[in-house]
Amino acid sequence: MKLVRYGAPGREKPGMLDGEGRIRDLSKIVPDIAGAVLTPSGLAKLRKLDAKKLPLVRGKPRIGACIGKVGNFIAVGFNYVDHAAESGVPLPKEPLIFNKAPSCICGPNDDTMIPKDSTKLDYECELGVVIGSRARYLAENQAMDVVAGYCLANDVSERVFQHGRGGQMTKGKGCETFGPLGPWLVTKDEIRDPQQLKIWSAVNGEIRQNSNTRNMVFGVAHIVWYCSQFFVMEPGDVILTGTPPGVGLGIKPEPKFLKAGDVVTLGVEGLGEQRQKIVKFNK
Amino acid sequence: MKLVRYGTPGREKPGMLDAEGRIRDLSKIVPDIAGEALSPKSLNKLRKLKPEKLPLVRGMPRLGPCVGQVGNFIAIGLNYSDHAAEQGLQPPKEPIIFNKAPSCICGPNDDTLIPKGETKLDYECELAIVIGSRARYLAKDEAMDAVAGYCLANDVSERAFQIERGGQWTKGKSAETFGPLGPWLVTKDEIPEPQRLDVWLTVNGEMRQKSNTSYLIFGIAHLVWYCSQFFVLEPGDVIATGTPGGVALFIKPEPKFLKAGDVVTLGIQGLGEQRQRIVKFKE
Repeated sequence: MKLVRYGAPGREKPGMLDGEGRIRDLSKIVPDIAGAVLTPSGLAKLRKLDAKKLPLVRGKPRIGACIGKVGNFIAVGFNYVDHAAESGVPLPKEPLIFNKAPSCICGPNDDTMIPKDSTKLDYECELGVVIGSRARYLAENQAMDVVAGYCLANDVSERVFQHGRGGQMTKGKGCETFGPLGPWLVTKDEIRDPQQLKIWSAVNGEIRQNSNTRNMVFGVAHIVWYCSQFFVMEPGDVILTGTPPGVGLGIKPEPKFLKAGDVVTLGVEGLGEQRQKIVKFNK
Repeated sequence: MKLVRYGTPGREKPGMLDAEGRIRDLSKIVPDIAGEALSPKSLNKLRKLKPEKLPLVRGMPRLGPCVGQVGNFIAIGLNYSDHAAEQGLQPPKEPIIFNKAPSCICGPNDDTLIPKGETKLDYECELAIVIGSRARYLAKDEAMDAVAGYCLANDVSERAFQIERGGQWTKGKSAETFGPLGPWLVTKDEIPEPQRLDVWLTVNGEMRQKSNTSYLIFGIAHLVWYCSQFFVLEPGDVIATGTPGGVALFIKPEPKFLKAGDVVTLGIQGLGEQRQRIVKFKE
């Protein structure tokens, strides 16, 4: 299934795509695409519905982030074999985990706002994993059981805030609009192998990232297993699984950071596409 | 006011203390001590209630974490001059920000579970700020308006996971039971001078931390202002503001990490006390 959330920011309604790719309103069935709805039993109920019998959503509403009420927004760093190289860091021996503020989550096509005093705004196309069951201390062969599905994400980053302001990466990863998720939450049955997906991004039409999730250092199952060893995960938690080379910071001979007016497009095979316009800081 | 959440884990009800320090049931007034209930408008409504007219909660129910539905659990590193000194470090030029997984939040007297593979379990008594209003790019003189109140916190840590497992600290800060909050959310009007509070912690009755929030390097208002420059804060977000000297890791001549059977007690003037028993890992 492809699940969506549509409507004005903060007032999104749940929906699902029908056979023709049109949005059907799920709001009489579930309150949101969040929490218990993402569990195996929650998704099973949705799977039994006949999409053609649900109300058709007319027009072209704004698409919101494809998951609501994300409790923990987790990200893995340096997880593509050649992204570590372009960043000048050795390959991690184990997943490098950090967080993005849940308040940075936004729709897949919402404007990206340059933060106040930002000088090095950057993009990172990523495969996002959506957790569907409470997970703690998983055995390796249990990891995929807790995955509800996948979504496309842009791990928008401010590189000075991330690396040049003392200590942890958090400051450069959580700014308002730094977490576009969607357009769809694609349930895992629709993605035969998450480690065989094309992944790409472009700025003003010029391809910047062009890779495949087979180049991930640590795969989806390993990352889910690993995270569960360090913190309890809940339905609705999202894990971004790293980005391939081609980010602005790694471009040779000179980095190419984003500026107001730029348009970023990105996609992961089977998960749709995103498009963000970069806009000036606006209080 | 002193607001509490009481009852079994995951099913806590909201309450407030009456003049005798007994718990009064608020569940017919607000759904939880969380989110919108923490806004200035909502707190004013609660303030107008006569606690003696609310149902008395009998017995001694478990106290849950004093804030529910925490969206972002933020923590500040290296923020006491005596904690910097015990590490031989210069105070940081600007606040060091990291995250604890919201799933680690628990009641003030819940057992601390030793994580799987642990070798260096540690404690950190901290003053935590509870945010009551959405806050983005605050001006310095607006910072305190966004604060609903304060609570006591223990930033429980596993030092090997934090420092020796590649990069970011989050892995050592987020295990199940690593975030006791409470017993009370104390509204800010009751704490006119948050930077003159005694802070202490003992292990098995032996004093380990004994300090005062006057040693904070970056104060409450500065931290709230600063965080709001990097990510949007929402009502219910919690900022743990750092810990003084005396953590197990830096005890001379040898660190004295926690072990199963130890009892940790801690407190901050005006915010009550916590007590955790350390228990062995259980699958």
